[in-house]
Amino acid sequence: MAFINYLIHLGILVCIYSVLTVSLNLAVGFTGLLNLGHVGFFGIGAYSSALLAVAGFPIWLSILCGALLAGIAGILLSLPTMRLKGDYLALATLGFSFILGSVARNWTDVTRGALGIPGIPKIVKGNVEFLIVVAIIAVISYLIFWKLSRSRFGKTCEAIRDDELAAKMLGKDTFMHKIAALGISAFFAGLGGALFAHYITFIDPSIFGLGDLILLFSMLIVGGLASVKGSAIGTIIIFLLPEPLRFIGFPSSVLGPAREIIFALILLLILIYKPRGIVGKVDLA
Amino acid sequence: MAIATQLILNGLIAGAIYALVASGFSLIYSVTKFMHLAHGAILALGAYLMYTFAVLLGLNFWLAILLTLICSSFAGVLMDQLVYKRLRKRKASGAVLLIASIALVTLVSSLILAFWGADVKTIPMKNPVFDFLGARVTQIQIIIIVTSIVLLLGLWLLMKKTKLGKAMRAVADNKDVAQTVGINPERIYTYTFIIGSFLAGVAGILIGIEQNLYPTMGLSLIIKGFTGAVIGSLASVPGAVLGSFILGLVENIGIWWLPSGYKDAIAFVLLFVFLLIRPSGLLGVKVREV
Repeated sequence: MAFINYLIHLGILVCIYSVLTVSLNLAVGFTGLLNLGHVGFFGIGAYSSALLAVAGFPIWLSILCGALLAGIAGILLSLPTMRLKGDYLALATLGFSFILGSVARNWTDVTRGALGIPGIPKIVKGNVEFLIVVAIIAVISYLIFWKLSRSRFGKTCEAIRDDELAAKMLGKDTFMHKIAALGISAFFAGLGGALFAHYITFIDPSIFGLGDLILLFSMLIVGGLASVKGSAIGTIIIFLLPEPLRFIGFPSSVLGPAREIIFALILLLILIYKPRGIVGKVDLA
Repeated sequence: MAIATQLILNGLIAGAIYALVASGFSLIYSVTKFMHLAHGAILALGAYLMYTFAVLLGLNFWLAILLTLICSSFAGVLMDQLVYKRLRKRKASGAVLLIASIALVTLVSSLILAFWGADVKTIPMKNPVFDFLGARVTQIQIIIIVTSIVLLLGLWLLMKKTKLGKAMRAVADNKDVAQTVGINPERIYTYTFIIGSFLAGVAGILIGIEQNLYPTMGLSLIIKGFTGAVIGSLASVPGAVLGSFILGLVENIGIWWLPSGYKDAIAFVLLFVFLLIRPSGLLGVKVREV
């Protein structure tokens, strides 16, 4: 029984993280924006939804608000950073995540600082029911991103990634496309964050950390850039790989770091030996 | 008045620490053209090795320093050889190297967590307090300022006066041209990582003695280091040093108005603003295509 509960727990996390990964892929893989602010959007969704729900808002409305706020943050972040490319964009968006983490840590009146927010209400009572809910959301998200990637919008995003100037000369509004791509990507990151908060029922500022960023990038790159299918594959593989460790019987003080070590090593190995991942279509530029 | 002096003094001390971090980082950036964020990981490793040699093994203080510096230089070269060199070989973009360096940061901080544990460590040392124009300054802080000035002068002389420094500047300027006049860029990269990681080791020891040790300290410090470097100029060591002192001063004078918890936020906002408005930094002459 314990084992089945554990499988359900894994299933829920895979569903939530696959939404995060596929949305990250829209910005990084399809549009070529090296956005390291994804954990920031994730955190905005988690914190806003948690705070609203704890304050007594209906849960679904809280989740929607969390996702919308993250989407707005994505648009706001994209406006000033539009001119930046590659590693400069990466640094600026990473700085954005750090600023949010710092606010979460210090704005104690609202966020309770390092103490975090406990007692976040659950969406449904049991974990089985929750698994069904997140699975439906994950499937819908995937269909949306799959449709997007085949739409005119998705193709234009890919054109911007490959040659922004050429896309501009063909009359494409590259500016609006990049803003929309980051906004949509951030909206779904916020949705994932909100679902995460309502599942774990506790969040603290550590969710803005590098650990989750490495986890997301491992999933993204192992699966492959610019492939919706790849993001699902990557998420499942990365989540299942370190699980055998649990059964070897490491103490939990070693288990946490060991998982992070494995994620970081996988990311390094894939960058060195198979940079396009399993079904990826492009290189990280 | 005494408070103002104290804040400025604190700013200068913080600036000296950041300058030590930023100088190595921007040295490596200027020569190899990618952001080696794992420079912070080397620094954290340096601090923990110093703790291990000096406190856990009880070695002689100077011997511990020597061993730590050798190990951190070696660790930097190891990272370059095992990860960056392979990525360079297949002509990976700067973005790939940046992601790889972030992976190295979490790799090292998790290894530190696994080997040394999560609890905060200290390296005990005698630390008398002096009075300076009404402000307090500790002996260790004076050592930090003096060491960083000496090291930064040494680095400047090395870059300007020695053959190795000239070769490094040549590779930084134009790798292909440097190659045609018989400089082997890969060898220069190795020397750059030795020197840069040596500086990170020194910074790690000094910070380890002055403050506490914790597994993610490398990340916190490299953020300050690259913020200082971006403010001054990523690709120039003097620029990075100038930017670091500005960062240290702004952060410490800023807490006059803001709660001290916001120190980090001040740094990130500065980083963000400079990346947007002046990505080449205060001293950056060449306008890089961004």
